[in-house]
Amino acid sequence: MLRPVKMSRVVVAGSKDVLPPVIEKLHELRLLHIVNYNGSQPEFELGKPIGKAREHSEDLIKLRSVARYLDIKNKAPDVTYPDSQVISQLDTLLNSVGNDVTSTFERIVQIDADIKISQDQINAMRPLAALPLDLDDYYGYESVSVFVGTVASAVDADVARVSPNSKVFSGSSKNAILVAVFAPAAQASEVAAVLAEHGYSENSVPKLEGSVDSAIATLEGKIKSLEGEKGPAVKKLQDMKKQYEDMFLAADEYLSIQTQKAEAPLRFAETANAFVIDGWVPTADLAKLKSEIEGSAGGHVEVQVLDDSEAENLVEAGEDVPTKIHNPAIVRPYELITRLFAIPEYKEFDPSLLIFIFFPIFFGMILGDIGYGIMTILVLMGLKKKFRTPGWQQLINIVMIASVWSIIFGALFGEIFGPLGLWGKVIGQLPEHEIEALKAAGAYFGEGVYGPLGRLGPMGMLPMDRLATNAVLMLIGISIFIGVLHCSVGSILGIKTELNYGEKKHAYFERLPVLLFQVFFSLLLLGLILGNMALVGAGGLVIVISMVMMVMGPEGPMGLAHVPFYVSNLISYLRLLAIGLASVGLAFAANQLAFYVIMPMLSGGATESSEFTIPAVIVGTIVLTAVHFINMLLGILSPFMHPLRLHYVEMFTKFYSSHGGGVEYSPFGHVRRYLKA
Amino acid sequence: MVVGAINDGGILYGLLAVGAGLATGLAGIGAGVGEQGIGAAVVGVVAEEPGFLGKGLFLMLLPETLIIFGLAVSLILMFAWTPFA
Repeated sequence: MLRPVKMSRVVVAGSKDVLPPVIEKLHELRLLHIVNYNGSQPEFELGKPIGKAREHSEDLIKLRSVARYLDIKNKAPDVTYPDSQVISQLDTLLNSVGNDVTSTFERIVQIDADIKISQDQINAMRPLAALPLDLDDYYGYESVSVFVGTVASAVDADVARVSPNSKVFSGSSKNAILVAVFAPAAQASEVAAVLAEHGYSENSVPKLEGSVDSAIATLEGKIKSLEGEKGPAVKKLQDMKKQYEDMFLAADEYLSIQTQKAEAPLRFAETANAFVIDGWVPTADLAKLKSEIEGSAGGHVEVQVLDDSEAENLVEAGEDVPTKIHNPAIVRPYELITRLFAIPEYKEFDPSLLIFIFFPIFFGMILGDIGYGIMTILVLMGLKKKFRTPGWQQLINIVMIASVWSIIFGALFGEIFGPLGLWGKVIGQLPEHEIEALKAAGAYFGEGVYGPLGRLGPMGMLPMDRLATNAVLMLIGISIFIGVLHCSVGSILGIKTELNYGEKKHAYFERLPVLLFQVFFSLLLLGLILGNMALVGAGGLVIVISMVMMVMGPEGPMGLAHVPFYVSNLISYLRLLAIGLASVGLAFAANQLAFYVIMPMLSGGATESSEFTIPAVIVGTIVLTAVHFINMLLGILSPFMHPLRLHYVEMFTKFYSSHGGGVEYSPFGHVRRYLKA
Repeated sequence: MVVGAINDGGILYGLLAVGAGLATGLAGIGAGVGEQGIGAAVVGVVAEEPGFLGKGLFLMLLPETLIIFGLAVSLILMFAWTPFA
C-alpha cells in the first residue's frame, strides 16, 4: 500500500512468425509495460508495423471527422457492442452514414453562410430607402462614377462647383446625411476629394434589382425559407447522433485497438527472423504472463526474467522502472492528490494512504460543523449523479469522506450551523450560573452539553466552543502536536527512502536531524509552557545535537539555513485552528445578525423570540441562509486547499519526489469501455 | 487619568487589539504580494503544461505561511499574553 507494486524486468524473444499472436495475447493480458527500443544496437533494428496499420488509421481519421460533425464526445456508455457487430457495421458507418452526415453538415454550414450574406445585404440596403432611387440605378454605368455614403454636412454646392454635370441625391439617415452622387468619370477624383472634406464614409450597395423595399422583402423571404430548411437538417443530425452515438464510440475504440496492435512492433527490436520485446511486469503476474505468452505461440517464443542485479544495471543506465500504485478502494480517490503533485518513483513511498488518513482529519478539524458537514454531503450526492467522469468522481469522494470527519469534529466542537446556534436548542446547554462559575474559574471551554451525558473529556472540555479563549489555546497546542506528528511521519519515510536509494549520509545527516529538531523543538515549547525545566534542557540539548548533525551532513554549514523552514513548518499547522476560527466567526456573526439584530429590530424592539413578527422572521431567515451559504462555500474551499498545502509543502518536502517524479505503469493494451469484453 | 486607564488595561488593551489586527493584516498583504507574482507565473505554466498544476500549487502556497505567522502573533497577543491578569 505504502510502496508501489514490485516489478520484474522481462525480455520476450521469439520468431517473427509468431509476432501477431504474441501481440494479440499481450494486448489481451494488459500486463507488460513496454520499454521502447531506441535502435541503439547495430544487430537489431526497429520493428515495422504489421497488418493493416495504414488502413486502420485512415478509417480512424475519417470516423473521427464524422463524429465531430455529430458532436459526439466521450461519455459513459449506454450500450456496448461485440467486436463482430462493429466490424460488420464499420463500412456503413464510414460510407453511407458518414456521407449522409457530411453532406447534411455541409448543407447547414452553407445555409448559415447564405443567411449571413442576405442579412448583411439587408443591413446595407436599409439606409438607401431614404433615397428616391431603385437598386439598379446605382450600377451599370461606363462613363459615370457613383458615390453612395454618409456625409456630415450638405455637399450639393461643393460638388456642383468641381463637377457641374453631376447629379446629387440626398436623404436623411440616422444622425448623418445620406448622399448618392453621380459624377462624370473624368471628374471622379475631384468629387471624391470634395466628399472627403465633408467626412464621407462609403455604403456598399448590393447589386440587386427593383426598389429597396421590395429587395429587402425578397431577401427576408429567402432567409425565412433557408431557416425553414435548416431546422429539419439540424434535427436530422441530432437524430443520427442519438441513433449512432454508442456505435461511433465503439467503432472508434475498435479502430484504436487495431491501430495500437498494428503499430506495436515500432516499439520492439527486430532482426530478419526474430523479435525482442523489453518490458516490466508486476512480479505477482510474472508466471501468468510467461505461461500465457508461451502458450499462445506454441513454443516459438521465450519469456526470460532478468535477475535483480541485471535489472539494477539497466536502471543505473537510465531506464525508468514504472510505478504501479495500488491502494484499497477507499484510499483510491486520494491518489488524485498524489498524482496532482507527481507520480512517486519506484523506490519511493506512495503517500496516498497517509493522505487518506490525515487529509480528512485536517478538513474536518477546520470545517468542524455538523450542519455544514451534512449539507456538503447532500450537495455532493447530487453532484455525484451529475458529474460522472472518473476525475470528478474521485474529487467528490475525497470531499465526501472528509465531510464525515467534519460532522465528527462538529460534534466535538458543539457546532450546528455555527456555535451557540442550534446545538443548545437541539442537545442542550449548561445553566447560566454554571457558565458564570466556569468563566470565573478560568475553566470555561464552552456551554454545550451532550444531553443527559453532560460535558465530557478531560476538564469537561467537550463540546468545545472554538471561540472561547481556553479552547483557542488548547487548539493551538493540538494543531502543533498534529504538525509534529505529520512532519515526523514524513521524516521517517524520508529516512527510509534515502536508505532505499543507498544514500546513508542523506538519511542520517539530512533527514534524521530534521525529525529530531522538530520533535524536540515542540518538546522544548511544551517545557516552557508547563515550566518544566528538565524538558526545556533536554529539548535544547537535542536541538543543538541535531544542528551539529546538519552541519556534518551533505550540505555542510549551509544545512543550517533550513532551520527557519523547519520551525515555520510547525507554525504552519496553526492554520488548522486559524482557518476554522475564521469560518466559526462568520457563522457566529450570521446567527447574531439574524437573531439578535435583524429580527428584534424589525419586530419593533422585541427581545423574546415569541414576540418576533412574521416579516421579521422571514427577512432574518433570508439573511441567515445567505450568510451561511457563503460561509459554507468558503468553508469547503479553504479546508480543501490548506490541508493540501500542509501535505505538499510541509510533509512531501520531507520525503517525496526529491529524486524526480516517476513514470506511471501503463501496460500495453486497452481498457474496453464501449466494446463488449 | 491616562495612568488610571493604563492600570486597568483600558487603553493598553485597545492598543493590543490594534497591534493584533496589524499583525494579521500586514502579514496578509505580504503574503498577497508574494503570491501575486507566483500565481501569474503558475497560470502561465499550467496553460502550457497542465501536468504542472500540482507543483505550481505547491509554489503558490509557499508564501501562505507568512499570514499564519502574523496570525500566530495576533493569537498570542489576544489570548495568551495577559499582562493585566
